[in-house]
Amino acid sequence: MHDDDLMDRLLRDAMASEPPQLSPGFDARVLRRVRARRLTQSGRWLIAAYAVVACVVTAWLMRDLPVTAIVAALVMSVPIAAGTRAYARRIALAD
Amino acid sequence: MGAEQASYAAQADEWLVERCLAAVDEAAFAELVRRYRSLVFRLAVSILGQEFVPEAEDVAQDVMVRMHGALASFRGEAKFGSWIYRIAFNHALNVKARVRYRAPHVSDDLLATRASADRGPEEQLQHDRRTRAVHDCIAELPEVYQSALRLHYWLGTSVSDIAAMLDAPENTVKSYLHRARQLLHAMLAQRGFDAR
Repeated sequence: MHDDDLMDRLLRDAMASEPPQLSPGFDARVLRRVRARRLTQSGRWLIAAYAVVACVVTAWLMRDLPVTAIVAALVMSVPIAAGTRAYARRIALAD
Repeated sequence: MGAEQASYAAQADEWLVERCLAAVDEAAFAELVRRYRSLVFRLAVSILGQEFVPEAEDVAQDVMVRMHGALASFRGEAKFGSWIYRIAFNHALNVKARVRYRAPHVSDDLLATRASADRGPEEQLQHDRRTRAVHDCIAELPEVYQSALRLHYWLGTSVSDIAAMLDAPENTVKSYLHRARQLLHAMLAQRGFDAR
């Protein structure tokens, strides 16, 4: 018998144990974890309302500042916000 | 199976992804989980090995949760299956690097399941030693060979399914299996075992 056929037979014999199965309730556990990560409807509304109020208040507070100061504030805050968002997404994907 | 579930079962993966994203449709996500859970679990267990089945289940669960979080980044350039298998493969490799030095859950029990009444004690001992040597040698092969071998010989996965899971053409998978058998033959001979 050819070596490859012998190895084929040997592997079938060595790996003949019962293949494992997923435990019952796997789907339910996944859905529970996914639901826990999702914001509720009221949570989403709260965050959207906060964002709108924060934008309005910031614009009102900065109304008398020179343009250079506004640009400097945006240059500092936008990358920080984008970085924080990217980091939060990475954490969400890693857990 | 409910009417809604039955209608989802007939839909393409891409349609289900769109439903998940546009309508936050839990039934569509549940259908994706139902469709891929076993294959993702098989892929994970083929990478982690027979001693780490509970870890493989954790990997499958993590992959499903990650899939949910990353659906928006699925652009449809590759097949949905290839995308999720890639996530599973990478995550299983990371977990393997962490659990490698932990004591396995099963070792002798695994061998004991193969005990045969037809063999005498001496022959059984020889058989168990050779089986253990085979498993040890498999663990020393490149990851992709290990995975292909376990999927094919242990989990009974077809070559076409292995090709989809490893994102490789079927002929490449066949050559993985052939090359893995050659390497194993040489490794076993080095350890003083004959394939006969």
